[in-house]
Amino acid sequence: MKLIGRILLFALFIARADSPAQESPYFVTYGHHLEEPGNLEIATSTTMGVPRSGQKFYLAPYMELEYGVTGRWTSELYLEGQSTAGDSAVFTGWRLENRFRPLKREHRINPVLYLEYEGINEASRIQKEIVGNAPGFGEPNSELSQTHAHELETKLILSSDVHNWNLAENFIVEKNLSAEEGFEFGYALGVNRPLGTLASAANCRFCRENFSAGLELYGGLGSTNGFGFHNTAHYVAPVIAWQISDNASLRFSSAIGLTHESNPVLLRFGYSYEIRGFGAKLTRLFGSNP
Amino acid sequence: MTHGTRLSVTCVFVSLGAMLGQNTAYQPDPGWRAPAAAAFKPNPLAKRPEAAAGGKKLFLRNCTECHGNDGSGIMKKHAADLQLPVVQEQSDGALFWKITNGNPDRGMPSFSKLPELQRWQLVLFLRSLH
Repeated sequence: MKLIGRILLFALFIARADSPAQESPYFVTYGHHLEEPGNLEIATSTTMGVPRSGQKFYLAPYMELEYGVTGRWTSELYLEGQSTAGDSAVFTGWRLENRFRPLKREHRINPVLYLEYEGINEASRIQKEIVGNAPGFGEPNSELSQTHAHELETKLILSSDVHNWNLAENFIVEKNLSAEEGFEFGYALGVNRPLGTLASAANCRFCRENFSAGLELYGGLGSTNGFGFHNTAHYVAPVIAWQISDNASLRFSSAIGLTHESNPVLLRFGYSYEIRGFGAKLTRLFGSNP
Repeated sequence: MTHGTRLSVTCVFVSLGAMLGQNTAYQPDPGWRAPAAAAFKPNPLAKRPEAAAGGKKLFLRNCTECHGNDGSGIMKKHAADLQLPVVQEQSDGALFWKITNGNPDRGMPSFSKLPELQRWQLVLFLRSLH
């Protein structure tokens, strides 16, 4: 009872928390800006696949909990699911990712090291990264969800802020520890900038400074069993983000498939809410001084 | 005012500051210094004082969690008291560099994700704090 009371109190505590979101519009590409230490970002996103003829429409929602452990280390937990038209809805697994900034200061090119463990199944469709060869979309969820994959994914993230533009390049290597697939490769490139660079004095929702827009390009590069563009999916995706309030933002992307192995269109929506000083508040609430 | 009186007054102010959570005892990190080239950069908004109002909005959004609404620094967070001469005497370029790079090992995050002009707006607003 005491615990429930504390949890309710904590929910009230975070509901009144106020902080900036400053969300990047990217869905797939990572830049070098990490979560601020002690802040928690809760995000919910959905990938909607518009299929080719003969394939089924699917919806893949996922939830992200991103926490700034230190100024140079951000950790993130994902929970994901998938629903296919005329089939079923299934839980497709979880991911735990960590991003580290080895360099202390801002440089012309800022490297970030990314390491992720994925405990997912083959029904996963969130497509947070595209690696290896294009996945098949033919089998039913009942079969796909029985095939589990323990995957280790690494990325080298290089990102630069040039005036008001952010340019980011991600090089991806993924290994499925549950199957003999070799190492799979992929890439993601992104560019974005805010629509307004000077902050107005007024608290406005629709000011240009609250919007940022850009473009992503991402796809698979085969694997050690066959490197290259053959039988791979590639997308080009305009992206836009709107900071609705000091602590919430919306993102949207409409990716267009560039190869026959890609979905013709991937629509992505995201909403995120940031809680500043989450770690300190949690520590205070559960007894000890931060 | 005698030496003893001055000491007492100082002690009272320091205690009052501590009670209010202000970081009057702030000591800057000696290793956190802007390179000379960055420190000499002039503020491109220096002739637009009206831009400080936008800087105030950014400050309230991004900085008050640690520095407090008046910039005096929250002691628990070990955040700088931005009103102190040791901060205010730094050049615009040096403050801009510090906002851009942060000092992650001492808890100050980098704000390079803000557009360049908005970081200069923050510098402009910081000047109004002393």
